[in-house]
Amino acid sequence: MYNRKTLKKILQYPIFIIFIMLMISIFNLQIIEHDKYRITAENNFLRIKTIYPVRGEIYDRNYQPIVTNKPSYNIYISPGKIIDREKVTDFLSKTFALPRDEIQKVIYENRFRLFQEILILQNVNYDKLVKAAEKFNYFPSLSYKAEAVRKYHYENHFTGHLGRINTHEYDKLRENGYSINSFLGKNGLEKKYETLLRGENGYEIIQVDASGKNLQFFKNNLEKKATNGADLILAIDNRLQEQISKIFPKDRKGAVVLMNPRNGAVLAYVSKPDFDQNIFSSNISNQEWNALINDPDNPLLDRVIHGTYPPGSVYKPIIASLGLEKKIIDARTKLANCTGGLQVGNRFFKCWWEQGHGRLNVIDAIKYSCDVFFYDLSTKLTLDEIKVHTRQNMMTIKTGIDLTGERTGFFPDKKWYVDNYGKYISIEGQKVNLAIGQGEILVTPLQICAYYAALCNDGLWVEPHLFARSITEKRTTRFIQTKKKLPISAENFAIIENSLFKVVNEAYGTGGAARISEPTVYGKTGSAENHMGTETHAWFAGFMREKDSDLAFVVFLENAGHGGSVAAPLARKIIRFYLSL
Amino acid sequence: MKNFDWIIFFLLLLLMFSGVFFIYSASSTKVGNVITTENYYLKQILWIIISIIMLFILQKIPYNIIDIFIVPLYIFSLILLVLALFFPQVKGSHRWIQLGFMNFQASELAKLSLILIIAKFLSKSRLSEIAILRTVILFSLGPIILILMEPDLGTALTIIFSVFAILAVSDLPFFYLILFISPLFSIITSFSLLLYGIYIVALILILLRINLSKVVIGFTVVINSFFFFITPIIWNNLKTYQQERILSFINPMHSPFGSGYQIIQSKIAIGSGGLLGKGFLSGTQKNLNFLPEHHTDFIFSVIGEEFGFLGCMFLLLFLFLFLFRISNRILSLNRKVFRYAAVGMLAYLSFQIVVNVGMNIGIMPTTGIPLPFISYGGSNLLINVLAVGLILKFINEKSIFL
Repeated sequence: MYNRKTLKKILQYPIFIIFIMLMISIFNLQIIEHDKYRITAENNFLRIKTIYPVRGEIYDRNYQPIVTNKPSYNIYISPGKIIDREKVTDFLSKTFALPRDEIQKVIYENRFRLFQEILILQNVNYDKLVKAAEKFNYFPSLSYKAEAVRKYHYENHFTGHLGRINTHEYDKLRENGYSINSFLGKNGLEKKYETLLRGENGYEIIQVDASGKNLQFFKNNLEKKATNGADLILAIDNRLQEQISKIFPKDRKGAVVLMNPRNGAVLAYVSKPDFDQNIFSSNISNQEWNALINDPDNPLLDRVIHGTYPPGSVYKPIIASLGLEKKIIDARTKLANCTGGLQVGNRFFKCWWEQGHGRLNVIDAIKYSCDVFFYDLSTKLTLDEIKVHTRQNMMTIKTGIDLTGERTGFFPDKKWYVDNYGKYISIEGQKVNLAIGQGEILVTPLQICAYYAALCNDGLWVEPHLFARSITEKRTTRFIQTKKKLPISAENFAIIENSLFKVVNEAYGTGGAARISEPTVYGKTGSAENHMGTETHAWFAGFMREKDSDLAFVVFLENAGHGGSVAAPLARKIIRFYLSL
Repeated sequence: MKNFDWIIFFLLLLLMFSGVFFIYSASSTKVGNVITTENYYLKQILWIIISIIMLFILQKIPYNIIDIFIVPLYIFSLILLVLALFFPQVKGSHRWIQLGFMNFQASELAKLSLILIIAKFLSKSRLSEIAILRTVILFSLGPIILILMEPDLGTALTIIFSVFAILAVSDLPFFYLILFISPLFSIITSFSLLLYGIYIVALILILLRINLSKVVIGFTVVINSFFFFITPIIWNNLKTYQQERILSFINPMHSPFGSGYQIIQSKIAIGSGGLLGKGFLSGTQKNLNFLPEHHTDFIFSVIGEEFGFLGCMFLLLFLFLFLFRISNRILSLNRKVFRYAAVGMLAYLSFQIVVNVGMNIGIMPTTGIPLPFISYGGSNLLINVLAVGLILKFINEKSIFL
């Protein structure tokens, strides 16, 4: 339908016209406006500047500081501007006592980031910096900035700490605005609430030339403000933290948790021995670091949620409630006669009280912590029943506290025994041991505390948490809390509560050392044998009801002796201090 | 090979090897006396060799045999497009079939096979107007929708443009093109009643000049008015971020932290190059890594910075000569199918060149279209060279059928 001439027009004219237009535009750009772009290019007048947000701080329930930011002088190196690598390395290692290989490693790892400033040293002593700064002229690759560093106000295990971003994290997080020099929460609250604490980057476009004249490449939207991180308000009370640290026996290891049973708020969270989280931002030497990780007392271990231990007798109320719920026993049922032990199968299991308790009902069995009663009760229960019931009481499962790396604990089942001891093992004998919280069962102190909190709360278990609230201009953050009714009837609950009352408040109760005149303390002692030492682990867990300030607590001391004589008196001191606040 | 067009072939070689040269420069970083070069240019040389071998093999295959493969190839390309959607995103879109040892951009094959299949079916004699439209819409709708789902707006626009180019030289009356393209102007002018008024009067005058019936003219005007009224309604119902996205596409300066920043950096690079450029490997903007894609989409900015206005002009001149030569030769093709296919390919090569250069100098939106024969990229290069190979083949075969 077209002749060749029209076809030619259709094909060639548009191409020709558009090429001419392109050439004119390029002429305009490269010849007419050349000077403007040349100057801009030479002086780097146009660039995006990232504005990093200020990290949120952490406070206790009375707005007393736990983690804050403090000014710090940081030294940066630009790998592309290094003139003599050996000389820079020498200078840095001599002036700031930094190992040579570490400096070389940083330079090597960042050898392709030629024009970026790479953080090489954080938190430099100001006097040292002033002396060194004169010589910075000889090393154009070095620069320093005043920035913020974290300050942890006391030794603890829950705040966690910040660490330098690693390559793996950087690849994953760079799109969220992290830079190669970023720090981020590596564990604890710092990690759990990283997004909240960090805030959001802001940006600014620099399009002003040397004389301050706006180059006007862009008309608007030249600044996006950084959103600073939110401050966290914790349920923690610094006064409790301080007091517990002070009265905790100096040479002992262990954990103390105080918790509001009504809402799960953790008021005190102490694991001993503890360590200073500031070491991670203070250029710690390898020797110091090795000393810390090889310390036999393992101060880095958070015993509240990372340590798992046999619970001993503090576990007994769970077995008792199972017996009651299964209607195997009631409040008056007396089981086997305690003669200082009980023969089960071909083995004789000892009671801790060698003289023997005689025949007891469940309330007295808990009060005197008689083992034989629970040995006998266990023979009437299956291992599966015990395991399921334990887990329904939120024991040997994660509590869900807002920290990282919480341990589950452990409860064995038949398969586990067969796998580990062969198929001829007598489950009966293992079960007897488990019934008094011994053997393979392992729990965290926090799980025990949450269980006794639920007992205080009429059987309603609430998830423990450290975080209370965080309010910024833009948003309020809350969390959804798990709550769970423990499998125990009101009637049986009263029996357990009554027995815990007697443990502390009646003559010959094992927990008498924790008794105070007002209000009433309920509790249970535990002395768990373990393979870590000859002394038993000392436990004391319980609660007290006082209008508006109910309290559940666990006091745990590793290999320190009997719960009644070691843990209970400490608990008493802590409760009295708590009441004095 | 008697009728093989060596001029087109040598221009192609010249473009590709200058491309290697530019890729070498674009992927090198020079600091003091130390030059670090990524291996892209070596891979590109490998791809050029493979492409040229394919080009010559293509010359030896009779078109009857190629014809057999057009429909299977089209179906295969659709399958690849669907598969690509299931591969993980790379830079925000599912464009790539990732085979581990190499990545293949699924839409590249779709472009070529769509042009071939449309040319094949449109070249049947005595097609009614409705039949032409039905064929074109039937074949192009699938690939376009799949490519938009990736999402890859640039490639989708390239395909639409090529299809229109084929239609423009086909037996379809010119009026249909006006009918399809005119609503676009209605959308653009919808924000101003005055502009729209001027436009609609001009449209009626043009339609009257080609002697169309009043019914047809009325229909066109009604369609245009419909788009004029519907556009503001749709626009106001878009979410703010959707409006922002469209505005930054039309005008990158609207988003200073995104594409606008890249375009400005590209303009600074080219503008600072001046008449003669800063010299091979010496581009400062490039060395400072302001532009993320300098060996692919933004390679023209490196050329502009290091080789200046003269370099740009030479490159554009050779590109123009190349396109011009092709357009001259394909006019003499006597088989409709060759003519249609060649026009489609010429259209998409020209479109990519113009849009890429336009993007680099900041007069066209950022679409992620590479510069044919110059930019780094294996599958793109291979398909472009195959397209040229087919054009050369059409020219070559002409004599046999005359």
